[in-house]
Amino acid sequence: MAKNDLKALSDSMADAVEKASSYVVTVDARRRFPATGIAYAPGLILTADHVVQRDEDIKVTLPDGAEHSAEVVGRDPGSDLCLLRIEKEPLSPAEIAASARVGQLALALGRPSSGGVQASLGIVSALSGPAHTRHGGLLSAHIRTDAIPYPGFSGGPLVDAGGKLLGLNTSGLGHGNSIAIPAELAWGIAASLAEHGSVKRGFLGIRSQPVEVSESAQKSLGRSQETGLLLIGVETESPAATAGLMVGDILVGFNGQVVSTPDQLLGLLVGEVVGSPAPVEIIRAGKAETIQITAAERSQPDPESRRSHRRRWRGRRHAFWMGPTMSHHAHRRRRRTSHGKMHNCEEPHSHHE
Amino acid sequence: MNNFNGRLSGQLNDLVDRLQRSLVLVHGRAGGAGAGVIWSTDGLVLTNAHVISGARAHLTLSDDRRAEGRLLARDPDVDLALLRLDIDSLHPVAVGDSNKLRPGELVFAIGHPWGQRAAVTSGIISHLALANTRGPRREIPVIRTDARLAPGNSGGPLANAAGEVIGINTMIVGGDQGFAIPSSVALDFVQNSLERAHPSGPAPPEAVN
Repeated sequence: MAKNDLKALSDSMADAVEKASSYVVTVDARRRFPATGIAYAPGLILTADHVVQRDEDIKVTLPDGAEHSAEVVGRDPGSDLCLLRIEKEPLSPAEIAASARVGQLALALGRPSSGGVQASLGIVSALSGPAHTRHGGLLSAHIRTDAIPYPGFSGGPLVDAGGKLLGLNTSGLGHGNSIAIPAELAWGIAASLAEHGSVKRGFLGIRSQPVEVSESAQKSLGRSQETGLLLIGVETESPAATAGLMVGDILVGFNGQVVSTPDQLLGLLVGEVVGSPAPVEIIRAGKAETIQITAAERSQPDPESRRSHRRRWRGRRHAFWMGPTMSHHAHRRRRRTSHGKMHNCEEPHSHHE
Repeated sequence: MNNFNGRLSGQLNDLVDRLQRSLVLVHGRAGGAGAGVIWSTDGLVLTNAHVISGARAHLTLSDDRRAEGRLLARDPDVDLALLRLDIDSLHPVAVGDSNKLRPGELVFAIGHPWGQRAAVTSGIISHLALANTRGPRREIPVIRTDARLAPGNSGGPLANAAGEVIGINTMIVGGDQGFAIPSSVALDFVQNSLERAHPSGPAPPEAVN
């Protein structure tokens, strides 16, 4: 055989794992099962929020085995991300891949134990979103993969065949399914966590419903866009009222992005755009117009209520996250549950927050 | 690009063809079936200890010849068993060096999952781990893979992209993780078994690098 492509492919997959493993760390911040984290910036580790179940005694173990204590910089339960800081970190941060394509090879990596990096292979199955998350958040996009999420892979990376970061894997959002938060989205949230300790989520003060955009309005807009958001209410003294938005306007774009559903708008009202003027595209009297609007920041739940909330739901969270992943850990845990030790797991399913 | 896919596919076919010739079906108790690997031209067959119950085992080769294997050695501690077949025209596997494996390498498992003859599944090496044994070895290396394994894969080969056997598929954990005993442990087991059987006997096959 002149050239064995199969061997070459195999070697390059191992190279990808090796390259990516240099930015994959162990995050030990819950009982019994450590999880994984990704080097985001010097001294900063990005991981899944649901694997950080305590605020003290958090340990991060680097690829070389060095153990560091870490502190929480910020959390965003809405996107299940948590940023940690360690004192000293010689790691180079993860390199972000070009956006994911359905069908491309993808490796899920984890480092839940001291025995070295772990990996599973699959492809990018779907790019979907937006999705509402359990904490009232909204993930504007996510990646689905058929790479197996082994226990402790939450917070770890989904990487491409070159070892570059496609997304951050978590089983804490998708009702037990594992999904990946796209790298750029995760990095944006991490930047917000690094700066503010939380994710700024904004509001405009409108009520809306999707409507058709007429053909003549589309012509005036200069693009084909079938739906927009008809404003059916504008709160007094809200950012929308201040900017001059009126009932009857059709909102079709915000901050340079097309808006055709309420979810899309919600997804755009996050981060730096909150508190600074951004263009909003509307159709008023059949004509496209652009006006400036400054989204106001939504009030954050205070830390104490969040903590007690976490305490209250801790048992259920275990059952929720560990339940449907089919791991041997999960079975063990579930058995424990049925013995009644974690009886609050059986609490009826209700929406909170 | 299509050319590349075509070549890759062709190489996969060749690899599977070669592995299938070295695969045997081990008839177990109560109609169950396991797999085994032809280890040498002179009739050594390696399989899992948990597949073998008595001193003899009925085997079916890939060309449908039937044979009876005589148990030479069995070690439940590493879950390996060595059989001897008195039959010619055997195609032994090439054995790879499991000490050089890296997570991420492509692997191919071949066996008889759920009784399906000579079925192949693929995946990667997920993790090179250590597992405790009850015996004097205490800890042995194990290969963990995301290649789908099922009952009937036991005793069959896990091969790398070069078609070399780097492990013997042994166990499924959590429904989605396969465990294989690495070829380094298998080579030691075969060598020790032969030395015990014939203190000055023939040299065992060496690892191919």
